[in-house]
Amino acid sequence: MKIAVGGKGGAGKTTVAGTVARALARSGRPVVALDADSNPMLGISLGLGPEQTDLLVAARQALDAGELEHQPTMEGIVETFGTDAPDGIRLVVCSRIDTVEPGCP
Amino acid sequence: MTRKLAFDKFPLKSTAPLSVEYRRAVRIAVVGKGGAGKSVVAGTMARFFARGGERVLALDSDLMPGLALSLGADVPDEPPLNAAAERPEGQRWRLKKGVGAVRAVQRYSVRAPDGVRLLQVGKLGPEGLPPIVASVQAFYLVIHRLPRTEFFREWTIVGDLPAGPRQTAFDWAPYARTFVLIVEASWKSALTARRIARIVRARPGATVAFVANKVRTAADVERVEQLVGERVRASIPDDEAVRAADRAGAALIDHAPDSPAARAIVRLARDLSGAELLYS
Repeated sequence: MKIAVGGKGGAGKTTVAGTVARALARSGRPVVALDADSNPMLGISLGLGPEQTDLLVAARQALDAGELEHQPTMEGIVETFGTDAPDGIRLVVCSRIDTVEPGCP
Repeated sequence: MTRKLAFDKFPLKSTAPLSVEYRRAVRIAVVGKGGAGKSVVAGTMARFFARGGERVLALDSDLMPGLALSLGADVPDEPPLNAAAERPEGQRWRLKKGVGAVRAVQRYSVRAPDGVRLLQVGKLGPEGLPPIVASVQAFYLVIHRLPRTEFFREWTIVGDLPAGPRQTAFDWAPYARTFVLIVEASWKSALTARRIARIVRARPGATVAFVANKVRTAADVERVEQLVGERVRASIPDDEAVRAADRAGAALIDHAPDSPAARAIVRLARDLSGAELLYS
């Protein structure tokens, strides 16, 4: 099962996504939670806590910084860039914007 | 306050003599997490400034609906700015010949109540980005010309940015001197505010004004200050009138001009205009 959650800002996307992920994980399914927001907050709704969520390193930043290697497979991406969250969920943060970026509108 | 001039009668190039002492106009971008109340704050401030006799340009770079509703403006289905930009084969997007910031505002902005001019990107429809991409490109090009266009020197500019830090990072508010950062008493809102504030402070000459919104008790303001780690400049009460105006699809300043939230936003607008003038 692959689910994407969308909607207007402040509507509750992250809370729904995090809660659904936790519920599915508790029912025994292996769950990968993907935070595709450039302002990633899914960690908070999954129960990682705000401080840890704010420290999560996004895949793109890790690659840019040369800290981690590119991963050609989905398993590799989840393994290398993921973080363990409660109920056995693996959380992967795609990208986050926290500096002034030149170019591209 | 300056005299009010009908936009269309205003000359394309300023003919004012050099001896005239220009008053520095307010330049604001409203930013914050999704649902924090950015559009309501931006729309209400823009209308308030216009009522005070300012010439006001409201800028909406969100691909989702927002500012037009909060301003009480009617918006055409086809984004007018689509006509302002072109992309010649193998080249980058550019404004069409003869279209600069002044023409773009004159031709492609829509009129909102109290004489506010609203310039906005197209809004996402079922076909996604392709039908509106020209308007997005034109908007970006126009706003980058605004700060150095003499004609707008005395115009008040109020921008409403989409949720999160992305557009602040990509320089979608080059006109802004003050970034009004709307924060609620929640962790997600506060972390977003911290990220945006970091980005704003990397811009020379730009300042951040933190504004606590949906405040129910004094403890909410303290909570915001604690979570963000900064003092707030103003606080806006949690107000049923804001939700009622939203349900009615009306501007807060029309629907409930005397509501506590509307009054607080007007106070903030006064405060910001005074503060920006102070440093001129």
